[in-house]
Amino acid sequence: MQKVKINSYQFLVLVILFSIGTSILVGPSALAAKSKQDAWIAALISTGIGLLIVWLFTKIGLWFPTLTFVQMNETLFGKWIGKFFSCLFVFLNLLFTAILLYYSGSFLTTHLIPNTPMAATNILMALILVMAVRLGLETFARSAEIFIVIFFSLFILLVIFISSEIKFENIEPIFERNIKDIAQSSLLMLVVTSVNAVSLLMIFPALINQPKQAKKSFFIGNLIGGLVVSIITILCIFVLGSDATARQIYPSYGLAKKINVGNFVNRVEALMAALWIIGLYIKMVLYFYATALGIAQICNLKEYRSLTYPLGIIVVVLSLTLFSNVMEQEQFDTTIAIYISLLIGLLLPLLMVFVYAIRKKQFKKDGGS
Amino acid sequence: MKRGIFILLILSIILTGCWNRRELNELAITLALGIDKSEDEYLISAQVVVPGEVSLTGGKVGSPVTLVQARGGTVYEAIRKMTKSSPRKIYPGHLRMLVLGESVAEEGIGDPLDLISRDWEFRSDFYVVVAKEDTAEHILNIQTPLENIPANKMFNTLKVSEENWSATSGVTIDELIVDLRSEGKEAVLTGILATGKQEGGSSKQSLETILSNINIQYDDLAVFKDDKLVGWLTENESRAYNGIINEVKSTVAAISCPNEGKANIEVLDFKSKLKGNVKNGNPEVDINVKIVGNIGAIECPIDISKPESIEALEKIYEKEVEETINNSITSVQEKYEADIFGFGDAIYRSNPKEWESLKNQWNQHFTELPVTIKVDVKLRKTGTVNNSITEPRKE
Repeated sequence: MQKVKINSYQFLVLVILFSIGTSILVGPSALAAKSKQDAWIAALISTGIGLLIVWLFTKIGLWFPTLTFVQMNETLFGKWIGKFFSCLFVFLNLLFTAILLYYSGSFLTTHLIPNTPMAATNILMALILVMAVRLGLETFARSAEIFIVIFFSLFILLVIFISSEIKFENIEPIFERNIKDIAQSSLLMLVVTSVNAVSLLMIFPALINQPKQAKKSFFIGNLIGGLVVSIITILCIFVLGSDATARQIYPSYGLAKKINVGNFVNRVEALMAALWIIGLYIKMVLYFYATALGIAQICNLKEYRSLTYPLGIIVVVLSLTLFSNVMEQEQFDTTIAIYISLLIGLLLPLLMVFVYAIRKKQFKKDGGS
Repeated sequence: MKRGIFILLILSIILTGCWNRRELNELAITLALGIDKSEDEYLISAQVVVPGEVSLTGGKVGSPVTLVQARGGTVYEAIRKMTKSSPRKIYPGHLRMLVLGESVAEEGIGDPLDLISRDWEFRSDFYVVVAKEDTAEHILNIQTPLENIPANKMFNTLKVSEENWSATSGVTIDELIVDLRSEGKEAVLTGILATGKQEGGSSKQSLETILSNINIQYDDLAVFKDDKLVGWLTENESRAYNGIINEVKSTVAAISCPNEGKANIEVLDFKSKLKGNVKNGNPEVDINVKIVGNIGAIECPIDISKPESIEALEKIYEKEVEETINNSITSVQEKYEADIFGFGDAIYRSNPKEWESLKNQWNQHFTELPVTIKVDVKLRKTGTVNNSITEPRKE
């Protein structure tokens, strides 16, 4: 396989967009459902704990700076057990690509183009998804560099425009919810923004030319992503109130609907939808890239590109058949999806730490090769 | 091959379109929607713009809007049934006003509003009002002067009067839903009514005289309990309500002078703060009002060139605001037992733990709630002159 490398700034951009990805769209609602007006506390807590998880990931990644997560599995656990774990990992990525595709279709057909069948939106989305992954990591990392400029310009505009609608009393009483509710909400966001970042171990550190700086990028990117989601959550509560935030399926879209600056800048939510589409898209690309590269490495293929078309078709079909309705998806997200993520994103890495501690000497003897 | 893809790309730019596109000439742009209820059926009236009549070049013979109506068991059903009489499908994306008939308000507005919060075509920035002693259908059936389109007149009138007179309250649909769902605040909507002759407002001829025969105007605020209309506030109570919930932007207040006659205060800045508190298990509320104003008009013998007179006027106004607010709260407590001021929310914000036990019998607690009011008035300027015209000249 030819060696593609991205630099640490490009990795930072990818991490930021990955962490924001889906959370910005559905996060506030999921957080406010349990934590009410304390949702922002839950968001901040999960951002903090998220850094610990990222620390775990960087630790694991830097043991073998030249290997991807799939290759690491085989080195640590041996060929067959390693392949088994890698299969689980690839399954997670494939599943989440499909779920994100469902998200994008469901969002577009709920708010923007309701009469369009989801098959049409999903196939179009999948086409540019496959295109990005075929063009390779370097290409979509570079396009992410452009996207992030658009993303943050829109984000800053959103924050400035909406600030006139803020009602501070909506956030009171602070710290009213009990710890259990806040912890449950935090867990949800922790899984979506940080635990799922295990997919980034396919890129970090093997495909980055400065692994040491990339470690910093991983932390900073995750922190920025978490903060952006926290800001959106706190804005939703300030502007819409906790009840309306929890009642809406896409509260941040409801937030954008409220923008009205001097009866002149209003009805701009369709423009703001670019925020969520960018986040969703990059996250989807990263999951899909991890899927394709993961399968290629499990099967010792020279190229992952030939896998992208069939996988793309599988993902489209999965996204259309996975859930029969929106409520099913919501339930899946808050239950099964969390278990799957925790299993592969947290338990597996911890197991790796355990095995590494036992086999450390052996690796040292081999000279880290 | 390359060229083929290139041509395809160019074509796809030109030939794009939405899946279910609806062009402008297929939309019935609805600016006001009215909901009435009679015999278990909703009667929905949609005020739809007639594009030809509002265009700059043509038209000007017929009415600028038309009313499309349909009956149905639910609101959604009725709106879709409108296609039976309208060649275009109702498009509510530009909705400005939602008028609820009094009948529907008395029976409960929760159910009919669900569609409006759920449907993707409705936005959240239009006002909701209640037709006072009238049907929504009748209100939407009146031509208006000055603003060609009645819905725009209603929207702008409410906006302007809310900002400058403060006895009306422009409640948008999302604010209404927050109030309806809140445990510690009941909803309030502004009333709208038709004045003058009750017949013939639908015709454009009613606008041909300087004083139009029939007009739509706003009235005082309607009090809701849960989602049902229970009564109406008076004008003073309405103004006190806006004062308490800190929605006054600017207004004019008439006060009595120390000796006789009246003076007007132009309120420039009106800030009120609600603070809840629970003492020994008993809830109480503090209202802190800060007013900055100018002297607007003096219609009594008072020498305002002396700083003491300004101070005296400040004191009088403070007292009058306090009394109005106090009287309004007492009256709402006695007559409606509905916490429209959001005192419950204030208690929840300050004492969330105690609120848990209070909220079940909040209506009961509300009627006995002690309220402390503190008003602070600052009069800054006296306008372009000092003493009034009738004030004797000083030699």
